[in-house]
Amino acid sequence: MNIISTSNLTKSYKRYEKEEGLKGSIKSLFKRQFIMKDAVDNFSIDIRKGEFVGLIGPNGAGKTTLVKMLTGIIAPTSGDITVLGYYPNKLQNEYKKQYAVVMGQKSQLFFELTPSDTFVLFKELYNIPDKIYKENIEYFIDLFDIKDLLNVQVRTLSLGERMKMELIVSLLHNPTILFLDEPTIGLDAIAQKQIRHFLKEVNEKKDTTIILTSHYMEDIKSLCKRCIVINEGKKIYDGSLKSLFARYQTHKMITILFEYESSISLPYDIEILESSPYKISFMIKKFEVNKVLKYIIENYEIADISIEEEDIGNVVERIYSNKVGDIE
Amino acid sequence: MRKYFEIAKILFKAQLVYRFDVFFNALFTVAKIVFAYIVWGVIFESNTTVAGFTLSTMLSYYVISSFLSQIEMSDGITGEISGRIRDGSFSKFMVIPSNTFLHFLWQNIGSTLFYMIFNFFAAVIWIFIFKIDFALTTDIAIIFSSLLLISLGLFFMVQLSYFIGILTFKFKNVWLFNLIKGNIAAFVTGSLVPLVLLPMGVVDVMKFFPFYYVTYLPSMMLIGRNIDEFIVGIIVLSIYILVFIIINISTYNFLRKKYDGVGI
Repeated sequence: MNIISTSNLTKSYKRYEKEEGLKGSIKSLFKRQFIMKDAVDNFSIDIRKGEFVGLIGPNGAGKTTLVKMLTGIIAPTSGDITVLGYYPNKLQNEYKKQYAVVMGQKSQLFFELTPSDTFVLFKELYNIPDKIYKENIEYFIDLFDIKDLLNVQVRTLSLGERMKMELIVSLLHNPTILFLDEPTIGLDAIAQKQIRHFLKEVNEKKDTTIILTSHYMEDIKSLCKRCIVINEGKKIYDGSLKSLFARYQTHKMITILFEYESSISLPYDIEILESSPYKISFMIKKFEVNKVLKYIIENYEIADISIEEEDIGNVVERIYSNKVGDIE
Repeated sequence: MRKYFEIAKILFKAQLVYRFDVFFNALFTVAKIVFAYIVWGVIFESNTTVAGFTLSTMLSYYVISSFLSQIEMSDGITGEISGRIRDGSFSKFMVIPSNTFLHFLWQNIGSTLFYMIFNFFAAVIWIFIFKIDFALTTDIAIIFSSLLLISLGLFFMVQLSYFIGILTFKFKNVWLFNLIKGNIAAFVTGSLVPLVLLPMGVVDVMKFFPFYYVTYLPSMMLIGRNIDEFIVGIIVLSIYILVFIIINISTYNFLRKKYDGVGI
């Protein structure tokens, strides 16, 4: 069952533009010039209950604008949008009680007080029954192992600890949909991993639909089965992450260690990453791997070979620069 | 309703964190009383009454009106709404299941209540220290009428501050509106000078505006004067409150559509 549905959704912003310098500023005082920008352009998606969908795109692609429309913060310029049967921008409380939104750089916590104080406030705001509140608090405390931090002033928490509290606050009322905008931004590798584990668990155990926007492909790759790629407000890909990588992760990284000092010359056009008498690393198109390896094995004494997937960063770059349209 | 109590409670708790602020706010109340004591003491050295006020009624008026103006903290609402709209964090009020106006109203109640308690004790202690012959009316009906007027007045000020705050959706910078409001309020509420000292014509014009009934009239009533203006005060304030309820709902519903949540 689709719980999120948009059709030809468009959001245009009016931007104020002026010529540089004092002259431009004075001129704009009398005659103001505006330009229109389509932050989201004819965007159609359907999302089913329980899905974990990754929303990726470069800065200014329209990801956050889309989330803002889905949560009702802003109204679309045109097109249709339905979330859980509601038109989000009506901002009905019945709708708001069914979703939660966590924005990595904005906080719902009261910095002067403790996380527990904010939890109690949200219990009342969402009218959470005592039993469910208690169960959820225990569940999340256990999952994040944050028992010792509940009564500590929020401003003294680390960024990672604060993000864990933000996630708990947002999930106390068992929302059907969780919108996450850059939840791991600025966090260290351990905190990122803990948060990914937490989100995976919430999605699987509580059947919470999660829409995740992130610049970290690692977040998307480890959490989302489905991925939507946005660029310049348009959807350029919507499908399984596996297919996306099958299409755009076109290269392999091969590292070879030689038994003896070797001066290798490869008969193919290959991007060499590192080269020394005992070692060579290079990037090669997937379909050429067999041929090249065969050539090297036949001609050199090899101590070790490693074949790795191409770095995610390269894949992302390729996805964003490719404008071939949907591959589904 | 419980959720709004919790909003007030959490703001009350948040105020308790800053002990320095608490101390200085109380000290400010005291400083005002001391200042009034000195200034009016000098004036009353050569006069036994000024515009019908004796030294004790004047000081009592000053203590009450200072206390009321000190707990009229609705300016913070304008500042918070305006700042949050500009930096995009206003979204947090749009995604939680509470009425935005009521949210800010109860936030204000929470912080006001906090300062009210501390300033009240500060004022009472200093009344005793300076041995001010406090001319508070003993008529319970008048005290309750004044409290009703104070509540309506503070509610109106919250509405006005909220209105100026949400204008940020359209104007981005509302400091001018706030400045005008602040100056009018400081003068017309009578927290600087008892309005009775002004020409009658000016005072009569002020009676058409709600500010007159926010601090000035309740202060006067509590010292046993201007009781006959109570009914007019209730009517005027009620009319303004009703008008602003309509204005605020329609302005918010209209202007929030212009919000683009920049910065998030």
